[in-house]
Amino acid sequence: MTKTASNTKMPDIDSIVDSCKEKPGSLLSALEQAQQNDPRKYLSEATLRRISAKLGVPLSKVYSVATFYSFFSLKPQGEHVIVVCRGTACHTRGSLALLNESLSRLGIKEFKEEEENSATSSDSFATIRTVACFGQCALAPVIMVDGKVLSRMTVGKLVSLIEKMKKGGEK
Amino acid sequence: MEEQLIEITIDGQNVRVDPSANIVEACAHAGVKIPTLCYLKGISQNASCGVCVVEVEGAKSLVRSCVQKPVPGMKIRTSSPRVIRARKTAVELLLANHPDDCLSCIRSDTCELHTIANILEVRADRFPGYKKYPMPDTTSEGIVRDDSKCILCGRCVAVCEETQGVHAIAFSGRGARTRVSTFLDRGLAQSACVQCGQCSVVCPTGAITEKDESREVFSAIEDPRLTVVVQTAPAIRASLGEALGLPAGSLVTGQMVAALRRLGFNRVFDTQFTADLTIMEEGSELLERLSKGGTLPMITSCSPGWINFIEGFYPDLLSHLSTCKSPQQMFGSVAKTYYAKKAGLTPDHMRVVSIMPCTAKKYEARRKEMDGAWGWWKEQDPGKVPARPFFDVDWALTTRELARMIKLAGIDISRLPEEEFDDPLGQSTGAGTIFGTTGGVMEAALRTVYELVEKKPLENIEFTKVRGFEAIKTAEVVVGGSPVRVAVAHGLANARVLLDEIRAGKSPYHFIEIMSCPGGCVGGGGQPVLADLEKKLARSQALYEEDRKLAIRKSHENPAVRALYQEFLGKPLGHLSHELLHTSYKARVF
Repeated sequence: MTKTASNTKMPDIDSIVDSCKEKPGSLLSALEQAQQNDPRKYLSEATLRRISAKLGVPLSKVYSVATFYSFFSLKPQGEHVIVVCRGTACHTRGSLALLNESLSRLGIKEFKEEEENSATSSDSFATIRTVACFGQCALAPVIMVDGKVLSRMTVGKLVSLIEKMKKGGEK
Repeated sequence: MEEQLIEITIDGQNVRVDPSANIVEACAHAGVKIPTLCYLKGISQNASCGVCVVEVEGAKSLVRSCVQKPVPGMKIRTSSPRVIRARKTAVELLLANHPDDCLSCIRSDTCELHTIANILEVRADRFPGYKKYPMPDTTSEGIVRDDSKCILCGRCVAVCEETQGVHAIAFSGRGARTRVSTFLDRGLAQSACVQCGQCSVVCPTGAITEKDESREVFSAIEDPRLTVVVQTAPAIRASLGEALGLPAGSLVTGQMVAALRRLGFNRVFDTQFTADLTIMEEGSELLERLSKGGTLPMITSCSPGWINFIEGFYPDLLSHLSTCKSPQQMFGSVAKTYYAKKAGLTPDHMRVVSIMPCTAKKYEARRKEMDGAWGWWKEQDPGKVPARPFFDVDWALTTRELARMIKLAGIDISRLPEEEFDDPLGQSTGAGTIFGTTGGVMEAALRTVYELVEKKPLENIEFTKVRGFEAIKTAEVVVGGSPVRVAVAHGLANARVLLDEIRAGKSPYHFIEIMSCPGGCVGGGGQPVLADLEKKLARSQALYEEDRKLAIRKSHENPAVRALYQEFLGKPLGHLSHELLHTSYKARVF
């Protein structure tokens, strides 16, 4: 499967929905697979509408579920996703520095520190998200890179990770 | 049923209660009123607000009485210091993020949050607020949503999902960002919303309200160049008194007319006149469909929320809708043509205001195609009207807006004399009156259709089978030797049952009445808030009582309607009727 950022083809929602129809929690698995199969790793309006129509779940309900879970993104994400935990334990162990370092390394200038937020670099290379807590406080500070949880992170380790990423090594 | 009751103790008193209801209802039965915010009998019980907590002996924590049923021997304390403290904290937390604009809030005298805060003696802002809110959503013609006043009780979501089956709104987000929203947080006008306004009736605060247009109406009344004509829907006479502090079910027809004159309306007319006209047109349409093999079942088209619903959710069934405009719109068309001509008024200098139990009527009045009178004048006498179309109905105000206007003008409705509507558009029959309650349009239609076909008077004109608040009512009437099977649904979730039957090709009916709101217009989205089922039933009874008192109770016997056909329209379903009294529908995409 090619994974270029310019590829904006929609995932095949119909076959995704057919594969999870009639199963309990079908909406959740349909949303999850649709996001995974999207080249920009997000749920577009068209995707949400298609899932709603195929599953017979009202649009408001689909939106309700999609906005409840922090896993789902309604905005296009970059090729790489870095999630920085901003919970109390991670904060006291320096997660703010990790966040700021990632932002500046990826050239993201605007980032509002709220409970949970996300921003994508203008070249769509990477998305940075914050979460309230990963539940891994003993291993603080924790970040997640492309689905992998990395514990006891330091600015140094982070920098080399991002540089490797940029060279196309970390994928 | 006595043996099914169980014995429990409420505040030291032994009482026998029904174990199938929750503790809130058991306590109410025993004379103890437990405050509730998210719980609303028959609508929602989310157990989210924490205001209804009680102490149950042996239970570790306080119990939310809206979701707990009593069990034999249960010992409940409803107002111990611990209970009061917990309730007060729950309300103080809700108030933390609630704006302090109670004085200027449209719900200032009917706010349930305000009432409960007062009962619990909340006297200070204990917690700081932290939430930020978007500007109020004013995109819809009928309804305004102001998130900043929302306490996330979920009543609106429950009524929209379960009672109405519309699903325009749901909870979205999580934690402090939780909100009630449409799909993608868009304006209501772009959502599935049918503008029935049931959410505005159940909302405990000022978060969901009607779009207030009373100022525009006051300005029109003050403008000396304008003749302002008002029409009142059938259901208003049975609910206006309640909105002004009289008991539910008070019938104030004559006083309402007097109050409207004192507010300065130049003519006070009755939508019931065009309700009778609707029956003439719709009854004839039904007979034509029956005899010529038209699309059956035919479905009534009086309720604009219902029209929005079918256009959005069942566009494939639009051919089943009667093409008749609603009585409100028929009135606008007739007032600005027939009456304007008769009274020598320039239509452009006329304003038609309607008083409706409904928020969707505001939207209906603004539908592009509702400019029949302008089109008629354009053909007849183009010099009389401007180049740009005007609407048949200029403003539709809800019962609540009229009540506020009356209060503002200092009019004491209980001291007013009973006055009569103006002629000729104020003449109506008992058939028009019962339009305001579920089953009423059907009953009115049956009275007329039967007599038009049989050419002899009905023995008993009261069709009790289509009366009452049962979800779906059915009846069979033999007309002209063949059975006519009818069904009545109120509340859009109930309507879905009949519509799904039609879709499946299994509908046995010839004629169906559908009203958006539970109870019909007496339970409309523009009606007084804080109304339980008993109050809505009382309003409905008031309408049947008025029908019984009237000398003329059949639409086809309305002398003013007969004159309208003789002098102007010709005959039902004639050319002019089609131009002025009928309309078309189209699929709605959201």
